[in-house]
Amino acid sequence: MTGRVEAAGRWGLVAQFPAPLKARFARNKLAVAGVLVVLFFLLFCFVGPLVYSTDQTHTDLTQVNLAPSGAHWLGTDAVGHDQLGRLMYGGQISLLVGLAAGVLATVIGTLWGAVAGYAGGWVDAVMMRVVDAGIAIPALFILLVVSAITTPGTLGLIVVLGLVSWLVPSRLVRAETLTLKNRDYVLTLRATGGTHGRAVRRHILPNSVSTIVVAATFQVADAILLIAYVSYLGLGVQPPKTDWGGMLSAGLTAAYSGRWWLIVPPGLAIILVVCAFNAIGDGLRDAFDVKGRA
Amino acid sequence: MDTLLYLGRRILQALAVILIVTVVVFCLLHALPGGPARGILGPQATPQQITAFNHEQGLDRSLPVQYAYYLGDLVRGDLGTSYTLNEAVSRLIEQRLPKTLVLTVLSALVGLLLAVPLGMWQAVRRNKPTDYVITTLSFVAYSTPVYFLGLLLILLFTQTLRWFPSQAPQGDTLAQVLADPAGLVLPVVTGAASMVAVFSRYMRAATLENLSEDYVRTARAGGASQYTVLFRHVFRNSLTPVVAMLGYYVPVLFGGALVVEQLFNYPGMGLLFWSAAQASDYPVLLGCVLVISVATVVGTLLADVVQRVVDPRVKEGRA
Amino acid sequence: MNILEIADLGVTFSTETGDVPAVRGVSLHVRPGETLALVGESGSGKSTVALAAMGLLPGSARASGRVTVNGTEVVGASESSLARLRGRTASMVFQEPATALDPLTRVGAQIAEVIRNHRPVPRAEAAREAVELLRRVGIPEPERRASAFPFQLSGGQRQRVVIAMAIANSPGLLIADEPTTALDVTVQAEILDLLRRLAADSGTGVLLVTHNMGVVADFADRVAVMLRGEVVETGPVEEVLLRPTHEYTQRLLAAVPRLRFSGEDSAPVEAAPVVELRDVAVQFGRGPRAVRALDGVSIEVRPGETVGLVGESGSGKSTAARVALGLVPPGSGTVSLFGTDLSRSRGRARRALLSGVGVVLQDPVASLDARMSVAECVAEPLRVHRRGMPAAERRNRVAETLELVRLPRELAGRGPRELSGGQRQRVSLARALVLEPRLLVADEPTSALDVSVQRTVLEVIAELQRELGFACLFVSHDLAVVQEFAQRVVVMRAGRVEEQGPTMSTLLRPETEYTRRLIAAVPVPDPVEQRKRRTGVTA
Repeated sequence: MTGRVEAAGRWGLVAQFPAPLKARFARNKLAVAGVLVVLFFLLFCFVGPLVYSTDQTHTDLTQVNLAPSGAHWLGTDAVGHDQLGRLMYGGQISLLVGLAAGVLATVIGTLWGAVAGYAGGWVDAVMMRVVDAGIAIPALFILLVVSAITTPGTLGLIVVLGLVSWLVPSRLVRAETLTLKNRDYVLTLRATGGTHGRAVRRHILPNSVSTIVVAATFQVADAILLIAYVSYLGLGVQPPKTDWGGMLSAGLTAAYSGRWWLIVPPGLAIILVVCAFNAIGDGLRDAFDVKGRA
Repeated sequence: MDTLLYLGRRILQALAVILIVTVVVFCLLHALPGGPARGILGPQATPQQITAFNHEQGLDRSLPVQYAYYLGDLVRGDLGTSYTLNEAVSRLIEQRLPKTLVLTVLSALVGLLLAVPLGMWQAVRRNKPTDYVITTLSFVAYSTPVYFLGLLLILLFTQTLRWFPSQAPQGDTLAQVLADPAGLVLPVVTGAASMVAVFSRYMRAATLENLSEDYVRTARAGGASQYTVLFRHVFRNSLTPVVAMLGYYVPVLFGGALVVEQLFNYPGMGLLFWSAAQASDYPVLLGCVLVISVATVVGTLLADVVQRVVDPRVKEGRA
Repeated sequence: MNILEIADLGVTFSTETGDVPAVRGVSLHVRPGETLALVGESGSGKSTVALAAMGLLPGSARASGRVTVNGTEVVGASESSLARLRGRTASMVFQEPATALDPLTRVGAQIAEVIRNHRPVPRAEAAREAVELLRRVGIPEPERRASAFPFQLSGGQRQRVVIAMAIANSPGLLIADEPTTALDVTVQAEILDLLRRLAADSGTGVLLVTHNMGVVADFADRVAVMLRGEVVETGPVEEVLLRPTHEYTQRLLAAVPRLRFSGEDSAPVEAAPVVELRDVAVQFGRGPRAVRALDGVSIEVRPGETVGLVGESGSGKSTAARVALGLVPPGSGTVSLFGTDLSRSRGRARRALLSGVGVVLQDPVASLDARMSVAECVAEPLRVHRRGMPAAERRNRVAETLELVRLPRELAGRGPRELSGGQRQRVSLARALVLEPRLLVADEPTSALDVSVQRTVLEVIAELQRELGFACLFVSHDLAVVQEFAQRVVVMRAGRVEEQGPTMSTLLRPETEYTRRLIAAVPVPDPVEQRKRRTGVTA
């Protein structure tokens, strides 16, 4: 019933799970749609500019606030950038930062949670109080304080976002580690002289992979959403660079005067991509049958 | 006795968390360019003034000693003085916090009242069109930045339909705020949207899990109708884990309030924070962070205690 | 008229990989006042038949054929007409008392609910009846216990509450699905007594689903044996249990471990013990809620001998095994392994010491990492302790060990998910033996297995022990198994050693009242003998 796909590589994901995983994921139509949406936006943002080339660095004050037309499919913004081109250009930052920050947060959270869960005792207690404290300080507030102090570049942004959002994955991984370290095969290994290192490397981490992958997917969704807030708070990348959140907040006031094309496309792009990552995470979680965010 | 023991433990944990928060805030204060002196004297202070201030305030002493002084101030309720508004931070927060609480509590209530039935309905109609539609809607609600949703609501309900005012109630006192319920509708709905999304998902998952529990089969074997099973047994069992999540949602609610207050110009703590950020008013910023963190810790504590009251099992050694 | 009539029942489950037939062409009946035992191993479809009779099959199942309860058709009936039937005409008792009750509702209210589902009695009257029912099922202080939550009751008491719910409306048919499987043997005896008395008092027909032949002998009038979804043999209990005709029934009965009532002790071993617990105490938790898991426990296992560690749940037998393995540090007392104090050895020396130990634990699913192949699982101790071993030699060693536990070499490349429970436990055994240990610690190694599979695994262990000469600490709740395989036995109760000694003299002439009760509670799979023992106990 559960024909095993032979391991292609130890960390190759698909190879580690029985074949029905793909089938189970494929049955979740929302999740499959999510994969398609993400693929579409990746192509749109990174391959799109090669096909539809626009100038996104120089302002063109003769072409400001134009409504959508044959020349500018999605119109132009207040400084004359083509909106469709800007959507691709801004999407590059949103996707790149979102993916990187989501992965960074998951890595930090995984390490923190695994150490806390495996060590147990007072180490665990102290580490989890730190997590509680982190959760108690709303990320938006920290980001606003940071923005009052400094304006980070793209790399700085990734680091800041990663540093404020690793808490949830750390709790998930800790819970997973707590169960795994008491699994019979780990107890057997420990009782027959296996080291902690081996238990963690060979059993606990590989068996947490599904939890971690699911957490990472949700984390990327949250990070992309968070970047939109960050730009709204004025901490985002600075012009002429931009991201979807930046486009959205730049167009906010214009929306009152009816220039919908300045806010609807980036708004929809954010919603679609975040939805897509959430749907993928949902589908993966059901397929892996792991606990996590509902 | 058992309950007291648990409460004592839980309060100690909460205090430890608050202590860690103060360390973080203290570090942020010292990460400021120019240190807290610049933060308190303002951006126009000369280096001489800063040195003098530092000596006077003991800021040239070692960091642990300073932290002790900082903690001492906190215990006395002294959060510093805002240099833009020239008022004690504690006083400012005291004025603004109740309004933010009104907004967040209303949002949470509206959110829960919608989310719980929606989630149960989805679970009962699992993998049917109803389920898919609500799931998709909750994904969309979760994925929409609060300010974008607020903007759309403003455009629709104040510009096009003109049902509600675009500004939240402006009054200084709580009574004035509550006297204008129409003005609260859009801010509350905006704040509740993502909560509906998240908690309907929790409720759906919890209900599904409970529907497959053995006790449901026992109840059905005793002749219980679908209605009895769902509302007498599954509902209560599903609600407890959802209540437990509520505590962790407090910071998200405050985060939402930050954006909502700015968007609807509602003079709560979020707006205070927002203007402080624009003016680099560090004492206000850090004071707000501290107060909100304490509110979250207290919220989590309350959620745990409520869960313990609702769910008798928690009393048994699961601490 | 028969209270339950099943004719040509078929049940098919639709799964991710297609339709799976679970029950085919089953026909049977239960008369008022009689008990029909439906026996079979896991996957035989016996529980599915029981659920089908209540109309409680899960949504993924489709039933065909006819099932009538007191003349009412169940297959294809609407949910509301089934709800009228359930709890009034037919009731059910389930296997797992830990999860069978709503955790947030007081037990009295749960019983009252069943009453009010079917009879328009006022709330207060239903509550009074619930207390009365609790008294009838033998719950002490029923007035007080009615307002208890399920978690405040023991497993046996919870099962009594489930039984009270089942008999609340005096049903004509009681379906009991493995009602005592999750319970300790002394509690099992009490619950079986209760069920027997209740059924006899009210002339209720009982469909008893069980895998335990002792329970069948103790309780049933007639027996139906199921194999792979079909009934292969039906008859009166004496006929089926004493003179089985079908080849499968014969095999099944031959595999059942039986308590023997005569025998000689084997010669004591004189050599120094391989593992010795001396005056060990273990405490979990701190403060007023601390639990004393072990208290003054002294156990030793000598080279080549098997020591059976028996006791009911909560007796501390598993904790004692874990202390011997160094997984749980003793609060006081000493543990010496191969003559060395385990608590004093650290790092490399400790690991070297532990390389002489093999471990097999209870759960066949949790014992093997599902992400590793069988070969990787078995090779793990080699990778830990023989790091220099060339890959080819390691492969050979693994293949040899697999053959030792009577598994084909070809399984080496498979994943644990593809194996049956018995195969998995033999892989665990291979992993435990690959380093040729001097001590094997086996914690309920066969408790999760069917009897025929259990027999094979136990025989492999015994045979290899003769061949390789390792000592064995064998933890089990099953006295018959321990009697068969252990030379010495340690009876534990509530964290203390109740008594210990050579197996035969300890089990045949127990010195303590507790051990006597424990042995008396074990039902033997012989209806005539069991009836004698039962009356003997009551008298």
